[in-house]
Amino acid sequence: MKITRRTLLKGLLGGSVVTLGLPPLELFMNSNGTAYANTTADGFPKRFGLFFWGNGVSLERWNPQGTGSGSDWQLSEQLAPFEAYKQWMTVVSGTRTPVPNHEPHHSTVAGVLTGHPLVMADGGHTFAMPSIDQVIAAEIGGDNLFPSLEFGAKGQDGMSHNGPHSINPSEQSPFALFERVFGAGFYLPGEEAQVDPTLGLRRSVLDAVMDDIARVNLQLGAADRIRMEQHLEGIRTLEKRLAKLEEDPPDLEACGYPPTPDAEYPDIEGRPQLQEKNQAFSDIIAMALACDQTRVFSNWFTKPLTNILFQDVSMGHHRLTHDEPSPQPQVNKIVIQCMEAFATMLGALAAVEEGDGTLLDHCLIMGTSDVSNGKNHSEEDFPILLFGGAGGAIKTDYHYRSISSENTSKVLLTVCNAMGLNRNEFGGEEGYTNSALSEIEV
Amino acid sequence: MWMTVRCARAWSAVLVGLCFTITACAEEEPAASPVTADVLGTELNEPPPDFDPFQAASPRVSRLSQRQYMNTIHDIFGEDIVVPTNLEPDMEQHGLFSVGSTVSSVSPLGVERYSDAAASIVSQLLESEEKRATLISCEPSGRSDVACLSEVLEKWGGRAWRRPLTGEEVDTLTALATAAAEKLDSFDEGVRYGLLAVLQSPFFIYRIEVGEEVEGVRRYSDFEMASRLSYGLWNTGPDAELLAAAEAGELTQDSGLEAQVDRLLASDRARAGVRNFFAEWLELYHLDHLNKDPNTFLHFSAELGKAAREETLSLMERLVIDEDRDIREMFHAREAWVDRRLASIYNVPAAVDDGFGMIELPEDGPRAGFLGQVSFLALQAHAVSSSPTTRGIFVRERLLCQTIPTPPANLNTAIPEPSDDAVTMRERLMVHMEDPSCAGCHGFIDPVGFGLEHFDGIGRYRILDNGGLIDTTGELDGKPFDGARELAHVLSESELFTQCVVEKLYTHLNGHAPEDGEKGLLWDLRQEFIESGRRVRGLMRAIVLSPGFRQVSEVSP
Repeated sequence: MKITRRTLLKGLLGGSVVTLGLPPLELFMNSNGTAYANTTADGFPKRFGLFFWGNGVSLERWNPQGTGSGSDWQLSEQLAPFEAYKQWMTVVSGTRTPVPNHEPHHSTVAGVLTGHPLVMADGGHTFAMPSIDQVIAAEIGGDNLFPSLEFGAKGQDGMSHNGPHSINPSEQSPFALFERVFGAGFYLPGEEAQVDPTLGLRRSVLDAVMDDIARVNLQLGAADRIRMEQHLEGIRTLEKRLAKLEEDPPDLEACGYPPTPDAEYPDIEGRPQLQEKNQAFSDIIAMALACDQTRVFSNWFTKPLTNILFQDVSMGHHRLTHDEPSPQPQVNKIVIQCMEAFATMLGALAAVEEGDGTLLDHCLIMGTSDVSNGKNHSEEDFPILLFGGAGGAIKTDYHYRSISSENTSKVLLTVCNAMGLNRNEFGGEEGYTNSALSEIEV
Repeated sequence: MWMTVRCARAWSAVLVGLCFTITACAEEEPAASPVTADVLGTELNEPPPDFDPFQAASPRVSRLSQRQYMNTIHDIFGEDIVVPTNLEPDMEQHGLFSVGSTVSSVSPLGVERYSDAAASIVSQLLESEEKRATLISCEPSGRSDVACLSEVLEKWGGRAWRRPLTGEEVDTLTALATAAAEKLDSFDEGVRYGLLAVLQSPFFIYRIEVGEEVEGVRRYSDFEMASRLSYGLWNTGPDAELLAAAEAGELTQDSGLEAQVDRLLASDRARAGVRNFFAEWLELYHLDHLNKDPNTFLHFSAELGKAAREETLSLMERLVIDEDRDIREMFHAREAWVDRRLASIYNVPAAVDDGFGMIELPEDGPRAGFLGQVSFLALQAHAVSSSPTTRGIFVRERLLCQTIPTPPANLNTAIPEPSDDAVTMRERLMVHMEDPSCAGCHGFIDPVGFGLEHFDGIGRYRILDNGGLIDTTGELDGKPFDGARELAHVLSESELFTQCVVEKLYTHLNGHAPEDGEKGLLWDLRQEFIESGRRVRGLMRAIVLSPGFRQVSEVSP
């Protein structure tokens, strides 16, 4: 049985019928009352998620047969894990990220996630602009306890960027994510709700820290001031969270505790427990969304250039993409394992009932990688999947194939439109676009 | 003759710091010899090249690394304080965390973790009776004894911020603490909230070093010097004596500075600084994530990476601290500090049953020094095999400070499968290099790694690869060699290696790659390093006493 807040309340109150708070439309309005564009037609907030895996796909086993909607297109071998989710699925194939591909894996991941070329900095490189998850979080995440959540089974630090040299590290422990979202300070409506008396003092501490940063800033050069500003942003986020914890939590039907994950998921015979960790993360993020703790997340399942050992293969992933002769049966196995993990996450979202539909109906989940074909670091025919349609904003059960190698930034602009962001352009330099993929828009 | 060098311009020696960048390897120009000349002059009797006059670099704010944060807390509050290990990840720039710490920002999650860490540390201080007694030196007269709160915060705030607090700062912290003490009806709670503000402050988390102008010269101030020295040489915050020297104005004077630098370098704590430098330079922190297929490598275990790092760091510590030897002996040392795990990989008896002990590797064996250590051989390899390419890149980039361009996009990178003609990895890579677009770079990379092919992906000695006899002849910039021991000699003789040590250490201690105005200084430091027997301890001393470490330019607007 799925534990929702409803079942929990029934347990608490001896099964008597409880009438629950406000209708969803009011609940999900932000403080200005202007959140309609970010809200689905049936009154739920739109959520955005990113699922990322490293090292691309095998294009000949990836791209679906046929284009258009419904039975006009069929899942490919590597997309087979999505059979149960085809009704939510939008495949975008044939696009390319046009940014200069100077640094294999790194250039293209910057292109597909930011629409901007990679910045070649002195002694390293970094993203020029925030990644798509943070672009969206900046506009729709601010009123939530967590403007965004980043995690991933083996994504290391992740690729979620606030800007240059500013990465949002991804949580690698399901238990730590669980504690962060559902630990101290979290309670369900109906649970004993004791507001922590120290919250106000903790905010005073943060005020003092902010004053220190302001004083420090007077002495610093431009580059360091930007870094301090980023730190300040973190302090403000934390302060806002403390203020939020003093309020009643949103009263949401679907909200409940996810299962408590294991404390650790040690590697077994040199192979990380990717699927197990991903399942735990998926359960947590589904409830974090259902409880409206956050509306934006990114799941860094694996990272660009990852060379971990997957199940049933003989070499590290990155090495296989380069060394295994075509048709690369082992790489194929790995891509399928990645898509199985993606499907697991979708399953967790689809299992949560929200209104007359499911949580997944109110999401837009984008899946992509750092290259299209890992073997040659290609930027052509980029693998991009969308799920959920953002509450009817994007056509689902649909395969769109670009015949003119359109810019992947068009997908990002489409995503922004679907999420209710008011934009008419996306990306910069070679990655710039001012047109969305209207064919997949509803 | 397996390598025809096709690109003269490939080695167009672009000066980056003191190092060369190998640009555009795939250029098709007719071959002159690959550039091996050192533009700074490899001959000691050559006059120095013409450099720009010395110009100090602009200041940069450095964030304490995870280790520095932990070490600092341990120094101030005791080794038994448990410091969370999930602080904001450190980032590498120029291959060094010490440089990354001057450019990366702290994420919102990172800020949250600093907050959680502070809460945990302060709780540990207040919950232990003994710690509390040390922390609160005065006897509070009541729950909000302002004088006592103020005394406690001024004292510990000064340690944490590595400088005396201003009166205004003490007042602000005391006001916060008093409010907490009153609200929660407890003096200790006042201390708690005051310390939470101290430990989350940018004055603790960052090193704010901007310099001051004195008699027309911009230099780091005394307290800034105290932090620069202690984090550089000890990888932790300044101790009371160093802070006292700063207070007395000694660290901006030559003699006072020299006295403190000599004290710091003579201290046992310099071991931590030396270890940190080598761990960063040689990528040894990456060993935390060492992963091997246990079916291929039966010697692999989760602890192997840490053990391997310990072996290398022990060697470096001995060379630099205990014996003050020529750094090039890192390539030849036959003493090995091994546990049973490493001994079994090296196929030698362990010196002790438990923990680490010293053994001596055979004089005529295939293995000696760093190039024969698991920390290098296993990390610079794949999960199931060795990698001449990865090892070659490491030698070029890390040990010789060269930059190798990444392969262009849309290149077929597949290495041919084993065949009758190409059995070993070397033979397969040679086939790979028949493609000129690959050979341009791989011709400079793989021949270095071929010399190490007698060591498999975890560092075990072998003579066969996939059933084929291994050929370990190779070449580095025109110098042929056969096997790891000969490669070690080629590296030892390389002036690039010597200047790479100078550049890396200078970069590490200063938190930035040398700028144009610092190159003349680097040339001098290099000469001094060579003339004094290439001893790293002396080089550390010379760098921190040099104007490059003491002077600073204006803040860039």
